[in-house]
Amino acid sequence: MTELIEITIDGRKVAVEKGTKILSAAKELGIEIPTLCHHEALPPDGNCRLCQVEVVERGKRKLAVSCMYPVRGPMEVFTNTERVMDARRSVIRLHLNRCPQATILQDLAREYGVEPLDERFVAEHDDLCIRCGRCVRACAALGNNCLGFAGRGWDRTIIPPFDEPPVGCLGCAACAEVCPTGAIKVREEGNIREIWGREFRLVRCTSCGEYFATKEQLEKVDSCGVEVSEICPHCRKRDEAKRMKIS
Amino acid sequence: MKLNNPRALEEYRVSLPPKGGGAPVRVRVCAGTGCIASGSQAVYDAFVREAENHGMTIGVDFAADTTGCHGFCENGPIVQIDPANIFYQHVTPDDVPEIFEKTIREGESVERLLYRDAATKKRCKSEGEIPFYTHQQRIVLQRTGHIDPTDINDYIREDGYSGLVKALSFSPKEVVDEVIKSGLRGRGGGGFPTGTKWESARIVESEKKYVVANGDEGDPGAFMNRSLMEGDPHSIIEGMIIGAWAVGAGNGYIYVRDEYPLAVSNLRRAIVEAQRLGLLGTDILGSGFDFDIEITRGGGAFVCGESTALMASIEGMAGVPRVKYIRSTEKGLWDAPAVLNNVETWSDIPRIILNGAAWYAGIGTENNSGTKVFSLVGKIKNSGLVEVPLGTPLRKIIFDIGGGVMNNREFKAVQSGGPSGGCLPASKLDTPVDFDHLKEAGAMMGSGGLIIMDDHTCMVNVAQYFIDFLVGECCGKCTPCREGLHAMQVLLHGLTSGTARPGDVALLREIAESVRDTSLCGLGQTSANPVLSTMKFFPEEYEEHEKEGFCRAGVCSGLYAVSIDPETCTGCGMCARVCPANAISGEKKQVHVVDHALCITCGSCVDACRFNAILIERGNSND
Amino acid sequence: MLAILQDIQEKEHYISVDVMRSVACYLDVPESRVYSVATFYKALSLVPLGKNVIKMCNGTACHIRGSPEVMKAFEKELGIKNGETTEDGMFTLQTVNCLGACALAPVVTVNGRVFGKVRVKDVPCIIQEVREDETE
Repeated sequence: MTELIEITIDGRKVAVEKGTKILSAAKELGIEIPTLCHHEALPPDGNCRLCQVEVVERGKRKLAVSCMYPVRGPMEVFTNTERVMDARRSVIRLHLNRCPQATILQDLAREYGVEPLDERFVAEHDDLCIRCGRCVRACAALGNNCLGFAGRGWDRTIIPPFDEPPVGCLGCAACAEVCPTGAIKVREEGNIREIWGREFRLVRCTSCGEYFATKEQLEKVDSCGVEVSEICPHCRKRDEAKRMKIS
Repeated sequence: MKLNNPRALEEYRVSLPPKGGGAPVRVRVCAGTGCIASGSQAVYDAFVREAENHGMTIGVDFAADTTGCHGFCENGPIVQIDPANIFYQHVTPDDVPEIFEKTIREGESVERLLYRDAATKKRCKSEGEIPFYTHQQRIVLQRTGHIDPTDINDYIREDGYSGLVKALSFSPKEVVDEVIKSGLRGRGGGGFPTGTKWESARIVESEKKYVVANGDEGDPGAFMNRSLMEGDPHSIIEGMIIGAWAVGAGNGYIYVRDEYPLAVSNLRRAIVEAQRLGLLGTDILGSGFDFDIEITRGGGAFVCGESTALMASIEGMAGVPRVKYIRSTEKGLWDAPAVLNNVETWSDIPRIILNGAAWYAGIGTENNSGTKVFSLVGKIKNSGLVEVPLGTPLRKIIFDIGGGVMNNREFKAVQSGGPSGGCLPASKLDTPVDFDHLKEAGAMMGSGGLIIMDDHTCMVNVAQYFIDFLVGECCGKCTPCREGLHAMQVLLHGLTSGTARPGDVALLREIAESVRDTSLCGLGQTSANPVLSTMKFFPEEYEEHEKEGFCRAGVCSGLYAVSIDPETCTGCGMCARVCPANAISGEKKQVHVVDHALCITCGSCVDACRFNAILIERGNSND
Repeated sequence: MLAILQDIQEKEHYISVDVMRSVACYLDVPESRVYSVATFYKALSLVPLGKNVIKMCNGTACHIRGSPEVMKAFEKELGIKNGETTEDGMFTLQTVNCLGACALAPVVTVNGRVFGKVRVKDVPCIIQEVREDETE
């Protein structure tokens, strides 16, 4: 039996399991906290610093990133104080300075009333990567661990090893799927998918006939000892639903 | 030979021959990194050669030892002669025959090799007479410079491993309580109570636990950990064994900066010697307790001084910090509890256990017990390592021990705590140096770097220096530190090159504050301190750089003009000699003049003039 | 992994792609991890370094005692910038953050040998000395 802890977020009470992150607790109350590096299916990393909230715990008031801060005891959380807003605004401005073209950042800037810094601070106008590493975590979870950070500091980038087309890449495009800014380019033409400088053959779903996965992806599933089905997830769900209805 | 019980260690200690094999004359040559750079190896060789020339037998009539750092590196190579207890500085191989003739044969000192106290103009014969040493209280550095760090017997002779014997007679809980009672706080800079940290690791149930020593001294301008690891490696090892016993750890790591090869080799040797005597390994001194230590070399990354980054680095990954909402004492290294302390903290432990918590708590001030080693560098007369009780005022450290500012220039600021710390002005010189007062004054203790700056130091340039450093060392994981430091760097370079726009100083402050408030790790949060503290104490310099394009310190090229004060110029010609642009001319013993058309405002003349005759004025020389 | 890469660096003076591939294979870790470690630490270089590595300390003490001017002199003398290697592969010039010999500031090391209190006019002598050692 897991311990339930009652906490207050913006004056409203909610009871959550011990260890729940503030971000999820807030979600239960329908309180929206903006995020960039966070993705529900991936382990949190706390690097973008956008999801800051103010936490009052054991008499101390501090800023914390809600995607990683665990509920361990009674606490009070504030998601929209001036301090929180200031923190978010400064984080958005710094992100925008790296990636002035990213739509998600432009939208956030509009919402929070953030004026971008002047042109002296921008290195490359068309850089879309905010270095959140969602792609790296996605590739570790779903792909072949082909992506990683290279370098450090201001020059930190995300590239495949040795800056070469990645040998182990399955072409699954999970990295592009989870990228919040659309920085990873995927080109699909006919049965060819191009990503990270490599081309992959796409396989058609035997049920609906749509292209849905690369040959390499299916081979990996096969090598894991799972029966390969050449049916796309969409059709599989539909079939599953049908079967449940029948039974 | 393994020492199977505490008694065996005592018997071993007693059985050791006296130091130097009982030779009537002993010479100790400093072999710390500083003295080696000044040529101490050649001096040592010269002593051995000369002894042979005099028909002496090494180890019988004469003994020569190399020791760790004396902490007075500026005056190296340093040689001490026993039993006369004579302290020589700046010794060269050519001096050695004379030392033999006068000191060793006749017991007289060679005057010119003795330290001369600038205040009293007196020559000091022994270490004990030199003001640099007399105002210090050396506990951590007690042995460095006296023992041979490559010989475990030297350490054992001086009570080495007695603290361990005593600790093993205590229960782990008792050891932790003793450390708590001593009031020892982490010497790496954070100042977290060491005993409390140990206790939180001790109570966690876990199959594996680790103790880790942080010797990744990354603060530029600090070398106290280097000296300690080089000069007294066993004290760190003994402290770690005691800590491991207290928290129940079976493995230890010492993380040493890659830039310190001598520290790595001395520690490595010390570990092997301790293993040979059974002080590391299985069933230590017959207690049934197993513990061993490995060395991890850093890879040249400042951020690895941060605890979670250091552990990531030991695990073989890039040294990137993680969000620390779960303490390392619960989940640190490979998800097991890990106690990480600075090497100086570990080195304090054996003495605390041996002499008792009350003894240690009696040194320093309340809440800030014990001593701390500082590295006093920059524009100071006596650069070196200084160990004083916590609570000693800055003024005493800088003027009584350090001898004041170089060339008798005006004191402007002291930078404390490295890139995470802050600059304090003259008005804060009476601040007692301890964790709490330094923080209150607007700096921080950090690992103990004290960098002295004179009036020819531009505070905006200093802030830029630290931000440049941090931009190069930032790991790049979190947004505020990665992007914010870069933006701060752009602004600072604008200020120091005269291209700042109106409002840049205000913007700089805004970004600095947000980096402080929103960064992920401790280093990120403190990375704005060099900017914020110089802004707080020297706002006028920022103003002048932004609004007038003027650098009053005469550092930022193109932001000032120099002229020579005819009243004070003695015509010594020093400025003309150092000027790379040949912009200064004048007859010998006549007032010199600057040709503004040629001057490149490099500041060389300002540094070179001993009479403070170079004036810094508004306006660009090239105007 | 870091220790392995450091040993290779010491022996080969750089880490090649082939080496990184072998290390990944040997340790059974993804190549991406080796690459991120190799590009993170300053002690590791992915391009071959010169025969003689000159490290100019830019620690705080060295900085305020004039290391930037000494660095400029090295750059001028060798005709390369910080981080570069001369065309003949003889010299690599680097800055490092504090060598811990602050009392001797400004400090330069050449292949690990420490030169203290270096002034601009010492620079040609240091290079000359290294060249002479080389021809011996």
